[in-house]
Amino acid sequence: MSHYEAPIREPLVIGEKSYHDITEDIARPIEGKANKNWYMAFYIALAAMLWGFGCIFYTVGIGIGVWGLNKNIGWAWDITNFVWWVGIGHAGTLISAVLLLFRQKWRMAINRSAEAMTIFAVFQAGLFPIIHMGRPWNGYWVLPIPNQFGSLWVNFNSPLLWDVFAISTYLSVSLVFWWTGLLPDFAMIRDRATKPFQKKIYSLLSFGWSGRAKDWQRFEEVSLVLAGLATPLVLSVHTIVSMDFATSINPGWHSTIFPPYFVAGAIFSGFAMVQTLLGIMRKVTHLEDYITRLHIEYMNMVIILTGGIVAVAYATEFFIAWYTGSPYENYTYMSVGAATGPYGWAFWSLILFNILIPQLLWIKKIRRSFIWSFIISIAINIGMWFERFDIIAIVLSKGHLPSTWWRFEPTFVDVGIFIGTIGFFFVLFLLYARTFPVIAQAEVKTIMKSSGEHYKKLREQGIHGENH
Amino acid sequence: MSNKKYWQSVEELKGNAVLEGLKQKEFVEKLPTDVFLGDKETLEASSTTRRDFLKYVGFSTAVASLASCEGPIRKAIPYVVKPDVNTVGIADWYASTIANGFDYANVLVKTREGRPIQIMPNKEANGTTNARIQASVLSLYDEHLRLKEPTKEGKKITWSSADSEIIAKLKTLQAANKPVVLLTGTIISPSAKKIISQLITAYPNIQHISYDAVSESATADAMKAVYGKRGLPNYDFSKAKVIASIGADFLGDWQGGYAKSYTASRIPEEGKMSYHVQLESNMSLTGANADRRIGLKPSEQVSALISLYNEITGASIATKPTVAEKEIQALASALKKAGSKAVVVTGLNDVNAQRIALEINKALNSEVIDIKKLSYVRQGNDAQVAQLQADLKSGAISGLITYNVNPLYTLANATDFAEGIKKLDLSVALSVENDETANAMQYALPVSHFLESWGDAMPTEGNFGLTQPTIKPLFNTRQAEDTFLKWSGDTTNYYDFLKSFWNDEILEGTSWNKVLQDGFYTKASGSPMTVDLSETNSEESAVSISEAASALLNNKKGNAYELQLYTSTAIGDGKLANNPWLQELPDPITRVTWDNYLAVSMADAEKLGFSNPVQDNGAINGNYANVTVNGVTLKNVPVIVQPGQANGSVGLALGYGRKQGLKEAMQVGVNAYPVYFGGNNVQYNVSIEKVAGWHHFACPQVQSTVAGRTEIIREVSLHDLHHEDPQESWNAKFKPSYDHKEVAAEKVDLWDGFNREIGHHFNLSIDLSTCTGCGACVIACHAENNVPVVGKKEVRVGRDMHWLRIDRYYSSKVETREEAKKMGLSGGDYFDVLENPAENPTVVFQPMMCQHCNHAPCETVCPVAATSHGRQGQNQMAYNRCVGTRYCANNCPYRVRRFNWFNYAQNKEFDFNMNDDYGRMVLNPDVVVRSRGVMEKCSMCIQMTQATILKAKKEGRAVKTDEFQTACSSACTTGAMVFGDINNKEDKVTKLKEDKRAYHVLESVATQPNVVYQVKVNNTHKA
Repeated sequence: MSHYEAPIREPLVIGEKSYHDITEDIARPIEGKANKNWYMAFYIALAAMLWGFGCIFYTVGIGIGVWGLNKNIGWAWDITNFVWWVGIGHAGTLISAVLLLFRQKWRMAINRSAEAMTIFAVFQAGLFPIIHMGRPWNGYWVLPIPNQFGSLWVNFNSPLLWDVFAISTYLSVSLVFWWTGLLPDFAMIRDRATKPFQKKIYSLLSFGWSGRAKDWQRFEEVSLVLAGLATPLVLSVHTIVSMDFATSINPGWHSTIFPPYFVAGAIFSGFAMVQTLLGIMRKVTHLEDYITRLHIEYMNMVIILTGGIVAVAYATEFFIAWYTGSPYENYTYMSVGAATGPYGWAFWSLILFNILIPQLLWIKKIRRSFIWSFIISIAINIGMWFERFDIIAIVLSKGHLPSTWWRFEPTFVDVGIFIGTIGFFFVLFLLYARTFPVIAQAEVKTIMKSSGEHYKKLREQGIHGENH
Repeated sequence: MSNKKYWQSVEELKGNAVLEGLKQKEFVEKLPTDVFLGDKETLEASSTTRRDFLKYVGFSTAVASLASCEGPIRKAIPYVVKPDVNTVGIADWYASTIANGFDYANVLVKTREGRPIQIMPNKEANGTTNARIQASVLSLYDEHLRLKEPTKEGKKITWSSADSEIIAKLKTLQAANKPVVLLTGTIISPSAKKIISQLITAYPNIQHISYDAVSESATADAMKAVYGKRGLPNYDFSKAKVIASIGADFLGDWQGGYAKSYTASRIPEEGKMSYHVQLESNMSLTGANADRRIGLKPSEQVSALISLYNEITGASIATKPTVAEKEIQALASALKKAGSKAVVVTGLNDVNAQRIALEINKALNSEVIDIKKLSYVRQGNDAQVAQLQADLKSGAISGLITYNVNPLYTLANATDFAEGIKKLDLSVALSVENDETANAMQYALPVSHFLESWGDAMPTEGNFGLTQPTIKPLFNTRQAEDTFLKWSGDTTNYYDFLKSFWNDEILEGTSWNKVLQDGFYTKASGSPMTVDLSETNSEESAVSISEAASALLNNKKGNAYELQLYTSTAIGDGKLANNPWLQELPDPITRVTWDNYLAVSMADAEKLGFSNPVQDNGAINGNYANVTVNGVTLKNVPVIVQPGQANGSVGLALGYGRKQGLKEAMQVGVNAYPVYFGGNNVQYNVSIEKVAGWHHFACPQVQSTVAGRTEIIREVSLHDLHHEDPQESWNAKFKPSYDHKEVAAEKVDLWDGFNREIGHHFNLSIDLSTCTGCGACVIACHAENNVPVVGKKEVRVGRDMHWLRIDRYYSSKVETREEAKKMGLSGGDYFDVLENPAENPTVVFQPMMCQHCNHAPCETVCPVAATSHGRQGQNQMAYNRCVGTRYCANNCPYRVRRFNWFNYAQNKEFDFNMNDDYGRMVLNPDVVVRSRGVMEKCSMCIQMTQATILKAKKEGRAVKTDEFQTACSSACTTGAMVFGDINNKEDKVTKLKEDKRAYHVLESVATQPNVVYQVKVNNTHKA
């Protein structure tokens, strides 16, 4: 079933692996006991999560005033975190849907975790629009549901409403797509499970997958259809998030290049987060043979491309702000005013982390280095957070009327909620790593013969595989 | 007793053992305890099972606890017998007069359901209100500070025993001929004066002394010296062509303030705009409004005054040259040219300075000054007060009665005064507030608030006002007039006395009821207030002008700093320091709330090492300074670097730092009265020392220039106004390109608007030329719309709730990027120049509230459509619908939306008027109190416009021309704010909207606001 691959191409699966070895490798974290490191990481994440939840309860109980916001800066960390998490959630769908359509086999090692990351990140992102409301208990009013308020209806002009639709659509499609891919793998775990409880659970999760040819045929079809459905979502979600800004009238927000620029930025940050997570996971769960230098390099290439798009967007913004000659554009987040103003440090952090550091990836050695990729991915994560912070806080801090210029300083609650979402994210991810097959083993098995190191060697030695 | 034996059965009779055994048992069989203690089958068989039992217990517990959890019920109780004058839901307006010794105004008091809730100027009486008068209604409900019961030595006492004890004491003192002093604030009430004279007749040992916390005594003394009559000259600035003010803040509190007549002379359209030059040390409201402002420290002001005198009269008195000699010469020639249309005023509280000013005006033959119809709004006599202090110290007087004064707070050497009080045989304080003085005296007698009182006033010769109560006294208080009547043995109550006094001496046959309804009366001639205006103190008239001048020049020794004390717009002399509305009213110039501060010039600040760095939370900090005057040191005075402050001078506001009886949150600032020696607002030989630490200021505005955004504030010179085409130069409209043609901004539209010519369409016009920045509108807005007070900490972090704010912009050295480039500046350097104010900047005030845009950016972004556009042009906010995303605020280019970060009402963290039962009485029932988490903003007083419409409908007529009002437009003394319906061609605002000076702020954003501004005109083209 697998097509021929030139021997010159690097293998995607390293080592002398049989099909059964793959099964064993993938099932090991689920069937074995967690090590100390896992517990330590889990408890730290859990503590951060609980702290964040405490801060959320405090906010809802007392009022948004416990944050550092003020009359002139109505959003800061809340929406920054929202956009950051949504952006992170972008790589998953891109990897699983777009790369599937383009028949990129290397996605198979990473798509499961990337999608898990997407879903968990969208959970975090979804929190912020709710808790940033002054009256979150009335948050359901943003849903166009029949209500007892007479003819009251939502405002379809508002980008915030589009957000509601975009995010919820994205989350549900991603979830279905992810689950579909998981079915054969869950079934594999189910079939191996010895304890009755586990067997029951994995039976439920695998939706009665039987492994018949019909199952596989439908599986392929659904994957393709869902990939087709999900692909526009990759573009739409961040396009709509960017419209929160682009459709407004604030100088620095009101910018027509925002949609493509935000989508590129989201993929940029999403891949960086995948790099960060996989960099850890391949070590911890001993998946070095599946997540190889080649995977890292491919992802770094995507990062260079999207990072380049983002850099061009920054340059455009900077140029246009200057070129308009409008005094209102003097202080946008990409302007001389921002670079020399009180938020100069945030401006330069953005330039450093998002533009300068990623340029190192042009060097092949760095691009193929696990540790360098990891470090650079962290830098990009920071840089992309600053991008959103700059766009929101710097722009709002210098509004149209100079009398309304102000600054933002976060309180412990702002910080606590952000840390809490990171904790929540890792709690989910760590639980996932212990209970889910973290690599789409069924799919990886399909490329064993074309891209596995073992089979490549065999081919080289003239011993042909069974298909030949 | 019979021996018969009764038996039930044969077995019993025979004595059966089984039966005996049974008799001992209560139950024949063993009780079936297992039935209800566990045997399952029997349990299920029985009719009431254990489960049922538990269900019943659970249910009844739940019901009982639910019943006890019922929310508090607030009952609205209807009137059993409805008062004739009071219709629920309909406001009543009463004409009244405020005269508290510092502020005077003819006002209208709005009452709802018997509660006064707002004060507005009585425009028929030419009344004006400032921020304090607007806010005084809240002080009525100040449960915290008001004196509620008569007390003796701090213990409660009845009125009757207080009266009898005090009368007995007074009689004893009279018999022993021991002097008693009645120390009052300025009393402009003719009837009260009459009552006091009756009291003095009854007790001839009583001497009445008037004392103003902030003195204008020198002017009255100078009048006495020059014209032989003690009183203040009255000014009609509307007649002026050239106004030279040497440190007189006449738009502020100088001699009662003259904002209205001044702005009447500032209307450029009628071709009679006055030319106003201000020579002053502090940047005052008046200086900010002047055409030309020259920063001169007080000693230079003296020289300038003498120079002007020399130039105008041709005299050649020796003087010292100032830094602005040329400008003074030019000013003198302008004054001379204008002749009788010119006027010179000075704020130096020095007899000699005031005399020279009077002489200059005499030489000019000025029509502006009126020395016949005097003003009596300040009657304090510094000489007498000084004598009283000396007497008190030496023990020469035996009794002291104070009324409406708080000398223990306002006197420079209050501790001596306090010591003196302890030695007195009788000390009585009649006071509205439980202040320092009330606490120190033997008797503290609560006086009613003016809204609970009858009264009258004669602020200027022949002009009268009436005060009428608008609510029953809230506490066990009594008017001072009633008290004095009682003590003097007169049994009439004050109301009867007042009525007969007016009928006899003032009304000349006019109906009392009519005058009471009008609230004012103008008398053609004669004054009943002859009692103590012609007093002693006239020897000085012999002193010649040259001697006066040299005395003035000699005041200053050495090169030390000079301190100019002043009263701030919000707090004034400190009477209303416990009023949270006023504490949170930003100073119009510095925009500082909840503080006073030492204003230091930019050059001096550099010398002394002072700065105001902006913090990461957006607020500014300030250094602390120790200020020493005559050996008295004010410690830790926070410093504001004030552009325009004259080098070598520093400014400090009186009225702050009050402690006694004030809520802790209101005990802010530094008390400057301890260095207010001799009631002189200028103190020479001041040393300033920087001390460690940073003060946390709370300013709602931090950036002080427009930073090159010249479109926001438009200014034009008087010459260009008349000679240049506005479209070409000073008021060019934004014209976007549409279909390759330049068209008006409102022609470019994505969708078809609805027809706005149907029904009403409200517009508000704000004239930047006549807006003095006084802040009355801000407080009026608070009162009308229940705007919450948030406290210093929250204002500091940028969370003030002001629906209406007055932005203040200073000019920078250059105004645009192009000009900065011409200076050779590049890159980030020109940002510095544009962002920082010039050393002596011009000042513009721009009232800013919701602009009610026809294309409102806030409306499209709200996900739940909580804010939407009304058919009458108002942008409406549905609080109940708001979920609080704050997107609207972010998308508002004017940043006028205010978010409820917390619950501000009934929240102990915000212990202001909305947190106590009395304070909440001031709330306007027509406007909802917002809960936390919702956005709020200016509604263009929709409750008022709707009421106007409904009233007209009920009366079966169309709404009259200019009948629509908002709180801000009705509070505006100078007429800068004009509200109306642009669909009514007759309304003033319709013409103003089309005026050549009209412009919209941020026209290029194309929001199409319904608030229109009028370009500020400066008379820089010298007269």
